[in-house]
Amino acid sequence: MKGKRVLIINRGEIAIRVAKALNELGLVSVGVWTDNETEPPHLEFCQEWVRLAGSNNKETYLDIPKIMKLIDDYKIDGVHPGYGFLSENREFSEALAKKGITFIGPNPTAVYKMGAKDISKQVAKEAGVPVVPGSVGEVPTVDEAVKLGNEMGYPILLKAVAGGGGKGMRPCYSEEDVKNNFAAVQREALSSFGYAGLLVEKYILNPHHIEVQILADKKGNVYHVFERECSVQRRHQKIIEEAPSPFIGNDEALRKSICETAVKCARAVNYDSAGTVEFIMGEDKKFYFLEMNTRIQVEHPITEEITGVDLVANMIKAAFGEELDFKSQEDIKIQGHAIELRICAEDPISMLPAPGKIVGFETTFPQGIRFDHCIYPKFTITPDFDPMIGKLIARGFNRDVALRKVRNAVDGLIIDGIKTNIALHKVILDEDHFRKGNYSTNYIGTVKPQEKVAHKEDIKSFMLKVAAIELNQMGGKV
Amino acid sequence: MRYYFLNQDMKEFSLDVEIQPGKVMEFTHEGAKTKLFLKSLAGKNYYSFDGVAWKKLAALGVNEVLVSNSEVYKVYRGFKPSGLNKGGAGALVTQMPGKIVKIMKKEGDKVSKGETVLILEAMKMENEIKSGADGTVKSVNVKEGQALEAGFLMVEIEE
Repeated sequence: MKGKRVLIINRGEIAIRVAKALNELGLVSVGVWTDNETEPPHLEFCQEWVRLAGSNNKETYLDIPKIMKLIDDYKIDGVHPGYGFLSENREFSEALAKKGITFIGPNPTAVYKMGAKDISKQVAKEAGVPVVPGSVGEVPTVDEAVKLGNEMGYPILLKAVAGGGGKGMRPCYSEEDVKNNFAAVQREALSSFGYAGLLVEKYILNPHHIEVQILADKKGNVYHVFERECSVQRRHQKIIEEAPSPFIGNDEALRKSICETAVKCARAVNYDSAGTVEFIMGEDKKFYFLEMNTRIQVEHPITEEITGVDLVANMIKAAFGEELDFKSQEDIKIQGHAIELRICAEDPISMLPAPGKIVGFETTFPQGIRFDHCIYPKFTITPDFDPMIGKLIARGFNRDVALRKVRNAVDGLIIDGIKTNIALHKVILDEDHFRKGNYSTNYIGTVKPQEKVAHKEDIKSFMLKVAAIELNQMGGKV
Repeated sequence: MRYYFLNQDMKEFSLDVEIQPGKVMEFTHEGAKTKLFLKSLAGKNYYSFDGVAWKKLAALGVNEVLVSNSEVYKVYRGFKPSGLNKGGAGALVTQMPGKIVKIMKKEGDKVSKGETVLILEAMKMENEIKSGADGTVKSVNVKEGQALEAGFLMVEIEE
């Protein structure tokens, strides 16, 4: 494995995370630079980089022929797709397999069976895993979606077959809603994932989003690395995740049951990489298979923090047929608690993306903070990409300690020049339901912490900013 | 030195700052005076409101824009701009850079308040841009597929 050249078809914090793991394992990290990014920070962490010509995602991160040519021209042995883009694209993993290029992810059959939500549900069902009621296969027309909605009863969810990360997904509360949204979700699916196919499923109220990390190798070993709770979401996108799940709490039987069910799902597709089995858990603690993400996930660090398992490094080792860092399921244990805040370039109240240019960036963190990010002063956040710019992660001896650390850390995180959701995170971390671990995916919609965010800070914070400007005028110091 | 802050709704407030000897800034806001003590140590700046308890002062890169939670202010140091006024409810202006996906209305069409006029894609999300008023479409200044900067007047609706 050492010395192999691995192309990272991604950007931002995940490209940095992958480059670090490749370098650490003695492989050569090769980054890409597209034409619509000025000074991408991930290149600093790659040992080499190549230009990926093109000014939008379709011409760059999603352009399979262009990427295949780079692989030929620059003698690439393997590819890490990160998350999003081509990470769960069957065509891409098959094209690589045909050329004998190592895809750092699961085998193409697993991508195919689990990557497409309609097939994955069928696979889970056949493996004896409970699933949420919904359409059998793709729903090609709005009329069929309406028909299914009327049969199952509203609310229903329209979601992209190839989707993930909350994009290409909308709840519909009536026939009217379905008619209004169908075409828009199709378009979103096409522009984000390159495929417009949609599914319909029953929308469960007050659910918990609990997912299990899987790590498997090419020798048939499948392990779970325990669960994460990702119920703090807006627009179906996670903003705070924690591990282990406070909703499962001390219920070890339930923990064992959900983790072993996840392993069963992974085994059903001969899974051989890092992946995540997502479940939806009702208030009765019954859980249903939602989907399997056949890639590394944004929130993987909290699992790494509580178990000490380096998921990205092990994923790379698995892809090259090497042994994992551990020998048995019993080697993996939960120690403490970890919380992750997604730091996004967005308005803290409306939670809408707010691109712009970062002008100031400072951190003052307590002991034990991990900050995976791609932020630096003068970094411009463009509307072409996801607004997430960093992940603030704290591990503590228990949940209270992790909360204390992450609360203190977010106070010490200063990003100037753009709107960020930092002010919202502060409100949530101080809010009673969240502090007690008593929240579902409806948290943002019902508790509405965003409404407690002050539109602007107090006058003293303006004085400090004016003082900083005046100091700039004086050459930076008094 | 008087600072003027103008937010996205063109609401303004001002803050006076006077640099006094002994590394002190005195601020005046709505008649109330506040002293701010400053110190530079090892390349970092520190501030104190009482001269005893100190904290690190975050460095700011540029002086033109100031973001405070949900508000974005244009900062004017020492002068106040003139000729600024806000568009009415019928002026559909981009709040962020984006791309036009679909235009539902053409010039002369009747629209009612809350009705979707066009769809703007920004950061991979489709946003329905709705009319802020009942009226008639006076002008459509964009085409489908067009990429826009923030602050662009896409459609004007006459009430």
